[in-house]
Amino acid sequence: MGALQGRVAGVARYALLVLPLAFVAGALLVPLGLMFVWSFWERAGFWIRPAFTLASYAEFFAGVRLSVLERSLVVAAGVTLLGLLLAYPIAYFLALRVRRDLARNVLLLFTIPFLVNYIIRTFSWVYLLSRTGPVNRALMAAGVTQRAVDWLLFSDFAVFVGLISSYMPFMIYPLWAALDGLDRRLVEASWLLGASPRVTFLRVTLPLSMPGVFAAVIFGFVGTFGESAVPIILGGVGYQLMGNTITSALDVLNYPLAAAMSSVVVATMLAFLLVWYLAFDLRAVLGKIARWRF
Amino acid sequence: MENDGTDSPGVSRREFLERVAAGGAGLAVAGGLARPGAPAWAAKGSVTLADVGVGDPGGDWSKFSGPTGWDVKLVAMGNAPSGVLNVLIAGGGTQIYDVVNIVGGMQKPLVENNLIEPIDTARMPNWGKDTYIREFLAPGKPGFDFIGYKGNVYGVPTVLQGDSFAYLPEKTGPLDSYGALFDPKWKGFVALEDNFTTTGQKTALYLQKNKLASIKDPANMTPAEIKTVIDFLIAKKKAGQFRVIWSSFEQSVNLLTSREVYVMDCWEPMVFVAKKKGVSAVYAAPKEGYLLWAMAAYIVRNPKRSKEQEKAAYELLDFMLGGWYGAKITLSRGYMTNPAAVAYAKSNPGEFGPAEAQEIAAIDANVRKKFQFGGTWQNRWPTHVETYESEWARFKAA
Repeated sequence: MGALQGRVAGVARYALLVLPLAFVAGALLVPLGLMFVWSFWERAGFWIRPAFTLASYAEFFAGVRLSVLERSLVVAAGVTLLGLLLAYPIAYFLALRVRRDLARNVLLLFTIPFLVNYIIRTFSWVYLLSRTGPVNRALMAAGVTQRAVDWLLFSDFAVFVGLISSYMPFMIYPLWAALDGLDRRLVEASWLLGASPRVTFLRVTLPLSMPGVFAAVIFGFVGTFGESAVPIILGGVGYQLMGNTITSALDVLNYPLAAAMSSVVVATMLAFLLVWYLAFDLRAVLGKIARWRF
Repeated sequence: MENDGTDSPGVSRREFLERVAAGGAGLAVAGGLARPGAPAWAAKGSVTLADVGVGDPGGDWSKFSGPTGWDVKLVAMGNAPSGVLNVLIAGGGTQIYDVVNIVGGMQKPLVENNLIEPIDTARMPNWGKDTYIREFLAPGKPGFDFIGYKGNVYGVPTVLQGDSFAYLPEKTGPLDSYGALFDPKWKGFVALEDNFTTTGQKTALYLQKNKLASIKDPANMTPAEIKTVIDFLIAKKKAGQFRVIWSSFEQSVNLLTSREVYVMDCWEPMVFVAKKKGVSAVYAAPKEGYLLWAMAAYIVRNPKRSKEQEKAAYELLDFMLGGWYGAKITLSRGYMTNPAAVAYAKSNPGEFGPAEAQEIAAIDANVRKKFQFGGTWQNRWPTHVETYESEWARFKAA
């Protein structure tokens, strides 16, 4: 009887999994699979036909679009690193240095920008950083510069500002969650054993918060890598990331090339996740059980 | 038996597809699709018009619906060639739309994909009265490429316009050449449009007319000619000539109103908006000529469309060639429409005040002057369109 009940419970558990699995397969794996397959097809008029050709990959790797991939990787890595350097102290302070209710309120404040449309938020940087905008006016009024500073807008600087302001708040939450869940007794033990605050941070706090760092890096890197609006609005003359160049290929209905570029992007992301997974235990993130492998 | 959806009760295939497309594909459905308080006379059904945002006379189709008994369902549609083709080829658009009103010159891909039907001009009484069609868009004239293909007419011209560039005379003084876009005097204060056909074509027109490069036809360049144009643009880019390339209406208006740039490759309505915001921008009359274009309303090919539905589509096209519709669109969008528009506005003071009638006449005269002056007709789908795109990518990445 008990065995039967157990079997029924097991079947029910699997049955319950069918829906989410079907959703993941239908909404994610099938489209990704089709995209990968189409990247080897060839163009036929304005459509595509089955074939096995590496022409689209050759066009991508031989052309100027490869430099866009390189730029996307550099920008995504830079934004993630800078975002982490900003988000970590904020999360650390909120998790370990202020009252919980105050921390909750501050975390709530970080959600307010998300109530404003993302494009409008990005456009607001154009106003702030333009030649006639408040930042330049303030710089000139303070005598820092005689004429408007050009590189504030339509530049790498502007793109970094736009991307960091967009994605850094996403990085704070997982970092805060990791730091907030940290077993304070371990920190106290480190002090009691005579470790300096710096050593305690480097040997205890930081390793224990790595699952949060892992999640924050994923949020920052993946979001930035696929970004297309910020480069268009803030980047100046033809500033492109991968999302922009894929859209551009679709403008002339070059589906195989767009699929090939998208496949390279997905493969890059998977490789990145694999490396990251080898460095950190993914279960540690999901279960908040810290296990730093190094 | 297939339900054609014209007069049967219940949900027809046509209605079903409309609902699926409207909900599932997330198309931005303009007010007309589910317009509350649809008029009582719309008993015969409705003609579905997909439009890029220019052809809506303020949601008022009563002057069409009253006499014909057909309502108009207006559906928003993107204007990018790829977007149009995607919606019609992959998005089931041929089952949904009767008429698509987009920037013309798209006949080649649309006809070759069997997506539109030839137009029987005899079914539209207003066609013969439209002197602009005879003057600028007749077979044998370069403008015919905007509505025709291989000798057949496929599009009904709904608006006409000539593009150039905008500038701020307070900063630059009067300008009369596309050379201003490339003049080192305005280095760092120039913006271009992120559009490989229009920007490429204007640059080619400048290079050709000033004998700076050998370009046979700026509207349809060879790969070598495109490369010449892009090499020129890259050299200017590297010298710091351009501040930004814009990609949305608001973005470009903002560039002018904030005086971030002084010279900008753009559309005339941006200048209208800038002026309304108190900035004295001017739309240039370049000595090299204009980038001429027209919007075309195409009848979407659908073999299952009933004769009544087809007749209604023709009636709508004829209505769009009429005076009231033309006057409304000219007034609201700033484009030339048809010769009847000016006369209609003048002779119907109850519908258009004297100031409005005067504005319509002024816009019409201004655009007509551009067409008489000439330039190059925009080519939305040049022979080597992929080279245009890949070379434009090279310019952006440089």
